Amino acid sequence: MSVRLAIDIGGTFTDATLIDEETGKVSIAKVLSTPFDPSVGFMAATERILTDSGVLAGDVRFVVHGTTVATNAIIEGKVARGGFITTDGFRDLLEIARQTRPSLYDTQFEKTPPLVPRDRALTVIERLGPGGEVLKPLDDASVREAAARLRAEGVEAVAVCLLHAYINPAHEKRVGEILAEELPGIPISLSSEVAPEFREYLRASTTVINSAIRPVVGRYLENIEKRLAEAGVTAELLVMQSSGGVFTSGAAARKPVFMVESGPAAGVIASANLGSQLGYPDILSFDMGGTTAKVGLIQKGSPSITKDYSVGSHAGGAVGGQSLSGYPVRTPVIDLVEIGAGGGSIAWVDSGGLLRVGPRSAGADPGPVCYRRGGTDPTVTDANVVLGRLNPTYFLGGEIGLDIEGARNAIQEKLAGPLGLDVLEAANGIVEIANAAMVNALHLISVQRGYDPRDFVLVAFGGAGPVHANALARDAEMPTLLIPASPGIFSATGLLGTDLKRDASATLMRRFDELNAPEIEESFRALEEAGAAELASEGMPREQIAFIRQIDMRYVGQSYELTIPLPQGAFDGSQTPELLARFHAEHDRTYGFAAPAEATECVSLRLTTVGKIAKPPLRPLDETGITATPKEHRQVYFAEAGGFVETPIYDRYRLTAGAVFDGPAIVEEFDSTIVVHPHYTVTVDTYGNLIIRKGNS
Amino acid sequence: MSSTTGVGVDPISFEVIRNALIAATDEMVLALKRSAYSTNIKTRSDFSTCFFDRDLRAIAQGFAQPVHLGSMVQQTPRAIRTYGPENIAEGDMIITNDPYPSGVHLNDVTLIAPVYHEGVLLGYVANIAHHVDVGGGAPASIGAFREVFQEGVIIPPVKIVREGKIVQDIFKLVLSQIRSKHETAGDLRAQVAANNTGVRRITELAARHGSDLLLRTMDELVLYTERRARAELAKLPHGVYECEGFVDTDGYTDETVYLRAKVELRPDGVHFDFAGCDPQRRAPVNATYAMTYSACAYAVKCLLDPDTPVNDGFYRLLSLDAPPGTVANCTWPAPVVGGWETQTRLVEIIFKALIPSMPDQLPAGTKGMMAQAGFGSLDIEAGKYTCFYDTFAGGYGGRHASDGPDAVQAHGQNTENAPIEETELNYPVRIVGLSLVENSDGPGTFRGGLGLRKDYLFDRHTTFTVLADRDKAGPWGAFGGQSGLKAEYVVIRNGEEIRLNAKSTVELEPGDIVSCRTCGGGGYGPAEKRDPERVVRDVREGKVSAERARDIYRVAVDLSSGRAELDEAATRDLRRTA
Repeated sequence: MSVRLAIDIGGTFTDATLIDEETGKVSIAKVLSTPFDPSVGFMAATERILTDSGVLAGDVRFVVHGTTVATNAIIEGKVARGGFITTDGFRDLLEIARQTRPSLYDTQFEKTPPLVPRDRALTVIERLGPGGEVLKPLDDASVREAAARLRAEGVEAVAVCLLHAYINPAHEKRVGEILAEELPGIPISLSSEVAPEFREYLRASTTVINSAIRPVVGRYLENIEKRLAEAGVTAELLVMQSSGGVFTSGAAARKPVFMVESGPAAGVIASANLGSQLGYPDILSFDMGGTTAKVGLIQKGSPSITKDYSVGSHAGGAVGGQSLSGYPVRTPVIDLVEIGAGGGSIAWVDSGGLLRVGPRSAGADPGPVCYRRGGTDPTVTDANVVLGRLNPTYFLGGEIGLDIEGARNAIQEKLAGPLGLDVLEAANGIVEIANAAMVNALHLISVQRGYDPRDFVLVAFGGAGPVHANALARDAEMPTLLIPASPGIFSATGLLGTDLKRDASATLMRRFDELNAPEIEESFRALEEAGAAELASEGMPREQIAFIRQIDMRYVGQSYELTIPLPQGAFDGSQTPELLARFHAEHDRTYGFAAPAEATECVSLRLTTVGKIAKPPLRPLDETGITATPKEHRQVYFAEAGGFVETPIYDRYRLTAGAVFDGPAIVEEFDSTIVVHPHYTVTVDTYGNLIIRKGNS
Repeated sequence: MSSTTGVGVDPISFEVIRNALIAATDEMVLALKRSAYSTNIKTRSDFSTCFFDRDLRAIAQGFAQPVHLGSMVQQTPRAIRTYGPENIAEGDMIITNDPYPSGVHLNDVTLIAPVYHEGVLLGYVANIAHHVDVGGGAPASIGAFREVFQEGVIIPPVKIVREGKIVQDIFKLVLSQIRSKHETAGDLRAQVAANNTGVRRITELAARHGSDLLLRTMDELVLYTERRARAELAKLPHGVYECEGFVDTDGYTDETVYLRAKVELRPDGVHFDFAGCDPQRRAPVNATYAMTYSACAYAVKCLLDPDTPVNDGFYRLLSLDAPPGTVANCTWPAPVVGGWETQTRLVEIIFKALIPSMPDQLPAGTKGMMAQAGFGSLDIEAGKYTCFYDTFAGGYGGRHASDGPDAVQAHGQNTENAPIEETELNYPVRIVGLSLVENSDGPGTFRGGLGLRKDYLFDRHTTFTVLADRDKAGPWGAFGGQSGLKAEYVVIRNGEEIRLNAKSTVELEPGDIVSCRTCGGGGYGPAEKRDPERVVRDVREGKVSAERARDIYRVAVDLSSGRAELDEAATRDLRRTA
């Protein structure tokens, strides 16, 4: 027997998921997270699931881990006492940053404080030009002098970012060597290795974050590996990256900035994997929990990736989705639009007499009014309880009894009364406003990027996702909605089907009319060799390694690049017309125009090295049968039906493969509730996924 | 369903559509930023977007730059009225940068497109963007000009897109006036794309909710905003406040330009009176009415709950008297390129007038200038004229409970700096240094932020312009705080520093360095009351010298260990004798 184990640590719960590699049988376990030492929860979940499923520690073939330890370290300021080294004349790169303020009309604003203060920001004598040419050679003595000062300051990690090092890393490499001699045992992060991309502040910021979290992430992973070994699990520990692949814990400890958004990535990967297995290559993923909702886009089986991202930013400062606060990161991240609309989002009436939902959330503590934990502000979850959509006696399988009267009173008193609405109108309004915000998010990730949501399947998960998903599919006119089994832990299953992945890039600024095909081919070959060697050293068989070649391109003079996949085969120049055609088409799709007469240029080459890991098989439901029998009926509110309707309630665990039934309906399971609106039909597929489409059976 | 709204829009649909309108203007922002060519637009975000209803009331705005707040709502409706709304069909777009009557400076070019759904006019989308060069007397079209005609191509409202296609005759005529044609052409196409994005999103809204509900929601949105804004105005300290101030020099001469503002805060609105401002000059310090209006709108917006929307319901609560023919409301054909310098100083004066009554809400004197620089050089062989434009941050003023941030943009301006690597890769220049200006803080219990220094080295003949200010006096301190260090602009030639006028164009030789050093922010409260630990941290970080700590802040710093530490006993003595 051999199994894969996934551990996903969230704010409230630590989820363990285990899958049998042969049969595809999945087991799950949930324990409370232990923020004081997350490895305690990690091991508790591991031990619980091994015991419950009767699996021996030695049967675990690998362990995949999704964690917010990197992000939390930054948000909570638990960062290393770091040093920063840059080119002479530019000591204040981090202090000045982009010279902007995070909010436009707030006269009491603060700039995000640099992660390395000015007294530990030092310079060395050297200078490269924009072509990588050496204008002033590196003065070794200046490096040793800087090292001595950093030693005296007792730094725990050092980040190095020299001007134009993205194109010529020689000086940075030498600085790294000298620092290694002078500061033995201190981790050194070089910008040319962490994020070799142009624009010095963004590269420096990425490198400094990497440096700042290396000690804490390194210790954390080491600790987990040790505890796993003690428990008899000797399998390799893999860590989820922000871009969706996994890397070994060793690689993660060196480049932790690649895992800052590892948590939300898993859900998108799970959606992509499920879609591929079921034959749905184009998906919008929708993950809704207690405080936020996140949507992602998957096209032809691949999640869309972005590099415009900030960590530690607060919500209010975003302009058109781009944040001016926090620390920018230029490593690949799965593109997610996240909005402050979750089950715990608070509904309120503003000073202009308008009903608003969020962004404030009641969180897990005190939580919605109906949780009876002292919450007094009505939330989205309270509205769903009042509308009959959530079962007061079967929430989390009945672990929490919901206070429907309390929820109703709060909505009446704080919203319906002041607004002159009746309590049901107000409750329905809360849900519609939250839904509209989520539809805007679906548009932002699709329409804004030139995609039509109607061409995509909506995959909904997270505890609250399936409650709202049918309404979203309706309002965004998406024809098919898919609710996977166990939506509450669906993200964790994404960890189990993830390939080993390594992203690398090389800057190559060339106009396309001056492009030298052998030079490109050579650069890609070099990246491939390095990538393959790295994965091979981690035990990945050569025949399971594949490469994805892409080129960042733009019109000469632009500075936002589009990433275009290279046509198959060795690059000999004959693919150039096809590549250019793809670029013009992509530009037109993204920005609404193309300029085929304009010169184009290559900015960088991107290579993803993938070590294929076999996807665990989907497990069919044991029983088939076209009839579904409700376990009970209750009154549920649907505005389109004019109010409360006697609605059948189904137990998801008793649904059989092939069953078909009409909305309105509610399907209940341990960790989620699926709301099916009138005029929609549910089909249970072979594997127990619910497919919801418009029309009656 | 009952409703709190006056025109029959249920509160749920209202909130849904309101957010979708904001999302539409935000999407225009992204489309413009991502597809533009010039560093100034794509990286520095020097642009904004807006949606107007068919009555030309501003409904939703997507800002990158607050200076465009207010100026767009003056300029765009006027351009449409001038051209005649009946002459603008579906698929057309109007372009303009005409400062008269009441536009802004020529670099800011606006494109406007009508939004139709099923033959019904719903309104207009518009975007304004700062083009690096629009021709005129110096590269980047900034300089100490004496008439607007020297400042570049003047484009009255004309059609740039007809039936979905760019009008080539106009496009070519405009481009032929401009040095950096390639970038400008790309930027104009990006502006067209941004409007197309806006049109698409608004028509989708109409298709989803119906034109009727959409139009009624816009009406209600304006009323709602007015209610919110009035509720906020009711909380302000009502009264009449006055203050004087100045722009250091007019740029053509060394003469000071005097400004005066009277602000009347009332529960039902805010009135501004700029009587007493100097007559307009034949020099680059003249603000148009739209610029002055935007200073007022920005200042008031800062006083309200940040959640208050901005649209016609907000603007209708503002009124201003700015006598024509003054630097606060110049008339044709006065030059306007430096009008933003006056505009941002008007914000300073409004804040200075109000701060005694609103000590917890307003900062001491800030950078208070746009601090612009531009240069250009001609590559005759390549037939290419390269133009570059950048603006510099400076110190922000101290606040009632916090220091003024170092090196940051202030007031209507929030443009990013041009990255060094991007600049060196695309423009014939090397940046030899970018740093904070040490000891430039305006001393205070909460000190002003530090200014910034950026040095450009040229290897060829280059025309360089500075259009800035604050080189006579630094930003003012508040409640006993002191002024920040004044700014300095110099050319370094053969190792010698030659002072540049804050508004001047200079011909550079190969090897010359231009060094721009902006001012620090003003301090808040007496310097000798500053927490000694904060002073020590400043010394440790090299932002403030130990001598300055001793002489100005009356704090003794012990450097003997190699690391700055507080000498408590000596500090007590210093402060006792202070």
